[in-house]
Amino acid sequence: MGRMGDATRTVPCDAVAVSSIIETTGLVMEFPSTRALDGLDLRVSPGVTGLVGANGAGKTTLISLALGLLKPTSGGISVLGLDPSADGPQLRAMIGYGPERNVFPDDMVAYDYVRHFAQIRGLPRDEARSRASDSLYLVGLGEERFRALGTMSTGQRQRVKLAQAIAADPRLIVLDEPTDGLDPVQRDEMLAIIVDVNRKFGIDVMLSSHVLEEVERICDNVIALDAGRLVAQGSLDELAGALGGVDVEIVEVADRRDSIDLVAQRLVAGGWTVARRDPGLTVTGENDEEVFDAVVRAVADSGARIGRLGRRRRTLDDVFTNERGDSSDRPSTARTGGTE
Amino acid sequence: MSDLPPPSPPQPTASDGATAQIVDRGFQRYEGPRAGVGQAIRAVTWQSIRSTLGLGRPARHKIFPVLAVAIAYVPAIAFVGLAVLVGDILDPNEIADYAGYYGFITAAILLFAGLVAPEVLVGDRRNGMLAMYLSTPLQRSTYLLAKALAVVATLALVTLGPPLLLLVGYTFENVGPDGPGEWVTVLVRIVVAAMAVSASLSAVSMAAASLTDRRAFASIGVVLLALASPAVAGALVDGADLSPYWRLIDVFSMPFELVYRIFGEPGNFPELSTLSILAVNLAWTLGSIAIVVWRYSRLVVAR
Repeated sequence: MGRMGDATRTVPCDAVAVSSIIETTGLVMEFPSTRALDGLDLRVSPGVTGLVGANGAGKTTLISLALGLLKPTSGGISVLGLDPSADGPQLRAMIGYGPERNVFPDDMVAYDYVRHFAQIRGLPRDEARSRASDSLYLVGLGEERFRALGTMSTGQRQRVKLAQAIAADPRLIVLDEPTDGLDPVQRDEMLAIIVDVNRKFGIDVMLSSHVLEEVERICDNVIALDAGRLVAQGSLDELAGALGGVDVEIVEVADRRDSIDLVAQRLVAGGWTVARRDPGLTVTGENDEEVFDAVVRAVADSGARIGRLGRRRRTLDDVFTNERGDSSDRPSTARTGGTE
Repeated sequence: MSDLPPPSPPQPTASDGATAQIVDRGFQRYEGPRAGVGQAIRAVTWQSIRSTLGLGRPARHKIFPVLAVAIAYVPAIAFVGLAVLVGDILDPNEIADYAGYYGFITAAILLFAGLVAPEVLVGDRRNGMLAMYLSTPLQRSTYLLAKALAVVATLALVTLGPPLLLLVGYTFENVGPDGPGEWVTVLVRIVVAAMAVSASLSAVSMAAASLTDRRAFASIGVVLLALASPAVAGALVDGADLSPYWRLIDVFSMPFELVYRIFGEPGNFPELSTLSILAVNLAWTLGSIAIVVWRYSRLVVAR
């Protein structure tokens, strides 16, 4: 049974100063038919953290464990320094949660929904009212706040879920696939709001996604899961940053079909290390600026055209490929079109 | 260095138009006090009551509640009207006393018992709101407590309100209880009786609602139980000539039989002891609560 007292207490949000948001040790979660998490050891730093993995990787199970909705089969998990199983009510008062599913009573208006959950998370009634409006304005639904949830578009519903998660001013918000179903423009707007929530208001964010590209765009830290196992964790800079070297995409012109080979030969002759990658080359050397110059000269001399030229970077996609050794079931690198 | 304090900034005055400003606070961090789980329970209880009664919802959600409330209150209004019109020549207590009043509103109570708990419980499981609630400071136990309070309070609208209206109406027309002592006694009996009926039927209704994810099945189950158990009990006692204590299986009649005993009346089944009626009501209530708790403890709620 939870603590039934209703004594007013002072802000728990900033009372817990922790160096890590979530820590797990040997975390195992088994369901009757599957082992969803398999000995997970991870440590999530403050900031915006992306939880990535393909469908079935264990993202939602990890979120459910972090919220205390499930109890681990074995191992330990602490969130904001508290045990979700033992300190559930106290912990969840500090967490805002935006689920993947649209869990709405369709005939409830957005404002009532956000206010209701702000009150449940402990805000006094008047404060819950004003913060419900403020939150809905922040996510861009100020003018739509008295619309019934059932009449809202997918993009608006995703925003309502975010407003609901932040209204009670939590220490941490957990968002499960917050851009699911959004078109590219809506996705950009949603990601910008999420970044604002962290940068402007200092609320830590953990978001799950199976789209690596959006995680790379906004996250400070990454946790990558695959089939319940940890693939990679750390800051985005550590995991997916500059590798040294230059990637060049070459466009062959009609009368010089061997131009890519010619460019490669000239660069090798110049002492650069060259690797073929469709549809271009990866060129490495001591100094990236010199590599750039050499590539430009070689392309010009060979009569080809440059389609794209940029520093060589490791992406989260590379991380998955390296760790798994294949690319059959890794998360998507980009999402095409949204649905409304 | 001077010890003088730094000059204060100029204070705006009402007539100083140059310092007037519109401040848009917008979203900010919240540093104030926060309430505990008690407020969360109250918020869920109140929201559930509102939802069940169709408040803040489209008109179609108001039809059944309005119908049930009308059925429950119209007889009380009629009896009070009778007291106003012919109270000096006819004692309305002879027509409808407080314990016997429930006999006039059985349909309303049955309608509410079948409607309320499925509305309050089943929807949350189907649309995922249960997981949302459990991602807040609420736990399964506190969530169920909030929902139980909502069901009991909503049922009390038809079990408590009409007898209270009767009491107040009769009192104003001088056909109510004699003296303050008697009046308070009747008031306490009305409240205890209404709470007993509400708690018993709420528990049974919640048990039915916890066993199925279809609102209609739960409602039909409650109504069938309420209609079938008196029939079976009657068949066993009157038809098969078994012990009158077989009437105790009548889950719908026993709460009302307890009401008679609370008012010190023999009721419809005087052959049954008050203790046995109290015990069977407790058993139905506690047994139903056990089913709800068991069902929710086994629910896997993720995200």
